[in-house]
Amino acid sequence: MTRDRQPLPFAITLATGTSLANRTGAWRTERPVYRDLLPPCNNACPAGENVQGWLYPAEAGDYEGAWRTLMADNPFPAIMGRVCYHPCQTACNRGLLDEAVGINAVERFLGDHAIEQGWTVHAEAAPTGKRVLVVGAGPAGLSAAYHLRLLGHEVTVADAAEEPGGMMRYGIPAYRLPRDVLDAEIGRIERMGVEFDLGRLVTDLDAAREGYDAVFLAVGAQLSKRAYIPAGESARLLDALTLLRSAAEGETVRLGRRVVVYGGGDTAMDAARTARRLGATEALVVYRRTRERMPAHESEVAEALEEGVQIRWLSTIAAADGESITVERMELDETGFPRATGEFDTLAADSVVLALGQDVDRALVEDLPAVDGAVAVDDDFMTETPGVFAGGDMVPSERTATVAIGHGKRAARRIHSWLTATEPKALPPMPLAAFERLNPWYYADAPHQVRPRLEIARRTDTFDEVVGGLDAETVLFEARRCMSCGNCFECDNCYGMCPDNAIVKLGPGKGFAIDLDYCKGCGICAAECPAGAITMIEEES
Amino acid sequence: MREQIEGSQAVARTVASCRPDVVCAYPISPQTHIVEALAVLARTGKLGAAQFVNVESEMAALSVAIGASATGARTYTATASQGLLFMAEALYNAAGLGLPIVMTVANRAIGAPINIWNDHSDSISQRDSGWIQLYALDNQHAADLHPVAYRLAEEVSVPVMVCVDGFVLTHAVEPVDLAEPERVDAFLPPFRPRQVLDPADPVTIGAMVGPEAYTEVRYLAHTNAKRALERLPVLAADYAARVDRSVPAIADAYRAVGAETLVIAMGSVVGTLEDTVDELRGEGVGVGALGLVAFRPFPVDVIRAAVAGRERVVVLERAQPTGSTGVIGTEIRAAVPGGPPIHSVVAGLGGRPVTRASLKAVIEAANRGELPELSFMDLDTGLIEAAGSRP
Repeated sequence: MTRDRQPLPFAITLATGTSLANRTGAWRTERPVYRDLLPPCNNACPAGENVQGWLYPAEAGDYEGAWRTLMADNPFPAIMGRVCYHPCQTACNRGLLDEAVGINAVERFLGDHAIEQGWTVHAEAAPTGKRVLVVGAGPAGLSAAYHLRLLGHEVTVADAAEEPGGMMRYGIPAYRLPRDVLDAEIGRIERMGVEFDLGRLVTDLDAAREGYDAVFLAVGAQLSKRAYIPAGESARLLDALTLLRSAAEGETVRLGRRVVVYGGGDTAMDAARTARRLGATEALVVYRRTRERMPAHESEVAEALEEGVQIRWLSTIAAADGESITVERMELDETGFPRATGEFDTLAADSVVLALGQDVDRALVEDLPAVDGAVAVDDDFMTETPGVFAGGDMVPSERTATVAIGHGKRAARRIHSWLTATEPKALPPMPLAAFERLNPWYYADAPHQVRPRLEIARRTDTFDEVVGGLDAETVLFEARRCMSCGNCFECDNCYGMCPDNAIVKLGPGKGFAIDLDYCKGCGICAAECPAGAITMIEEES
Repeated sequence: MREQIEGSQAVARTVASCRPDVVCAYPISPQTHIVEALAVLARTGKLGAAQFVNVESEMAALSVAIGASATGARTYTATASQGLLFMAEALYNAAGLGLPIVMTVANRAIGAPINIWNDHSDSISQRDSGWIQLYALDNQHAADLHPVAYRLAEEVSVPVMVCVDGFVLTHAVEPVDLAEPERVDAFLPPFRPRQVLDPADPVTIGAMVGPEAYTEVRYLAHTNAKRALERLPVLAADYAARVDRSVPAIADAYRAVGAETLVIAMGSVVGTLEDTVDELRGEGVGVGALGLVAFRPFPVDVIRAAVAGRERVVVLERAQPTGSTGVIGTEIRAAVPGGPPIHSVVAGLGGRPVTRASLKAVIEAANRGELPELSFMDLDTGLIEAAGSRP
């Protein structure tokens, strides 16, 4: 619009462009740079997912883009969206504002949506001609196989079981991970051209290596730890893994009405909840320390309690017979270690399930050095034997599916470097996008979306999935709660704030440039960036 | 239509007839009734399309007014005393940018000591801010000055303060003939700004001006003020003809012909002064009055003509003169070099009444040649001494 304007007032009012002669950039002693920081979710993810990176397309409803970004690091979004203990959410900066972003729920939606849509992944890298044997079809092995295949290698996965999945199939109960989901995501890896050699127990490593350029061992920790419990002949003792595996395979397990589970980890919770579903009217967990010191994740404990599982803290089992157990009350010493008190109780119990942890079966790796019973590996996941790598539960680490998947990815990339004699890509370390670097007041209040849950009455007689998923609408809302910590999301705040009009928009997805002729380095853009994605650096004098 | 009405109501309703686009003000005694009245008019739909903006301070009030005016909105605000001082920085900006804002100042003393009553210390303190200052003689005058102020402000692109004595006028109920809105419409055309902030046709308003042109900007402001002084009586006469009553805009002389003693004053005290003149004329004393309306720009020529040939001039100073000999008196002395003696009388500070008896005593003292260059009317030195202090 051009108005019939009166002459502008002398000097104090200027037409556009007249101030361009003032190259205020010459005043600058610091300049802003768009520098991405490491979001705490990414930093916390044991699988090394670029969480912020896949939430960003999800916020725009680009679910395939989001899924493919996620799949670059983890082939199991639908599984992760159910069984991962989501340390990303524990780390999420939004938790300091209102509630953490429901990353796990969005991940599950993407995984389920991909299964519905039949999205697939292809090994697009040129074939390397190298062959890798993966021993163990659990999360570590499958993850390694997937990433090795993506990198162009021929991969065979050998496993003693008849079905792939390892602990994801034989350890995690179906009410947490429905088997059709598991099958769908493993099937996708199979369709990428990964060979499966199932029902094959590898016992001789040297023989198995024949014809392969490298081996990745991921046989897990499958030997249940035992405790010495004086038991009468009629006592029914079994270990948790056996119980879970039998339940997974649909075998009948005779537990009786009153089941005692001994231990305080996630497996103990799984065992107790499974016992309820198999008909136990009483499922009692006996644990030697307190709830605060229980290794089981809080969500597992809470869901178990919801389902009527009882827990007796500060107790050990001293003896068992066919109808009862004797428990000894414990107390914690100053260091938090349980100490016997000599006070005993007798509790009715038809069976005792031991869930005291697992050890690595070292039969296959007896020649390799061990650390606390696990296989020693260096940072490259390579064992003492060149070309033999190991990961997952059989190496020293936290034993969760997500950690194992991370091992598989990192090991696959190191195996690739080793096979191709190339240096692994070293990424420069990124500073963490700590909450203090954000301007969270720019983000609207938005409550966390709650996932539906199976009603409690139905949780004691079926293995139906307990936790439901978000729908398209709620998942979009949840994804949009992401504050994009440390990463520019093109909110235009810098563009609007700059007093010198020195921010140049480069177009959608391309971010911004700084016009250094006019940027006088005031730092307002950096100070006001909601995501903390702008850093001021000193000019060279 | 003639109504028995409070001064603040009369001002508010006349402002409403000026069809402002934006009204923003922060309440402060004794201006509050004006803003309250405008708020009620806005709420009851009698303020037309005006946007009534609530603000958190006087600084914000004038800043909003500046922003609104820069977008081409006819803008109104009002304040008093400390509120005006709080606006000080923005006052200079409004004037410097040539934004034709009209503001009512309900004149009040400034602290410390805190005092809510009437004098002119607040607006006088801002005499060099670049705003035109018009002082109302009574409530009718206060109302009538507002349409004239808008017309003048918009014609010469200078903001105008209409100064109305706090409480004495703002809270006094008197008969006032409120101009019918159609008469105001006929006098005051829609605002056609000389510059507008418009994203479709962008300009920078308020650019930095360096040594190469700053003096020239100030020179232009000064010459523009002189133009305002030329236009002011013309516009006031135009409005006066439309409402069929006198609207003094520069100064209002009363029985000044042949008076050896001329008393000059601003604001509502002029009414008392005129009564005193009547009384003294009845006694055969040659005294007249001049009610000064335009203090900024200072009407040097009018003052010069009014003072010429007098034996003496008494100036009522309703603002603190600390360290000087009275603000208005100093201006008059400068306007009439070699003229008659100019006696500044500081009167009516902080709400002290200026009575006919006191005025009469001062004029008689002047006529006896006993009035110094600067004196304080009704000064009670006994009060100071009784407290053990030294005058």
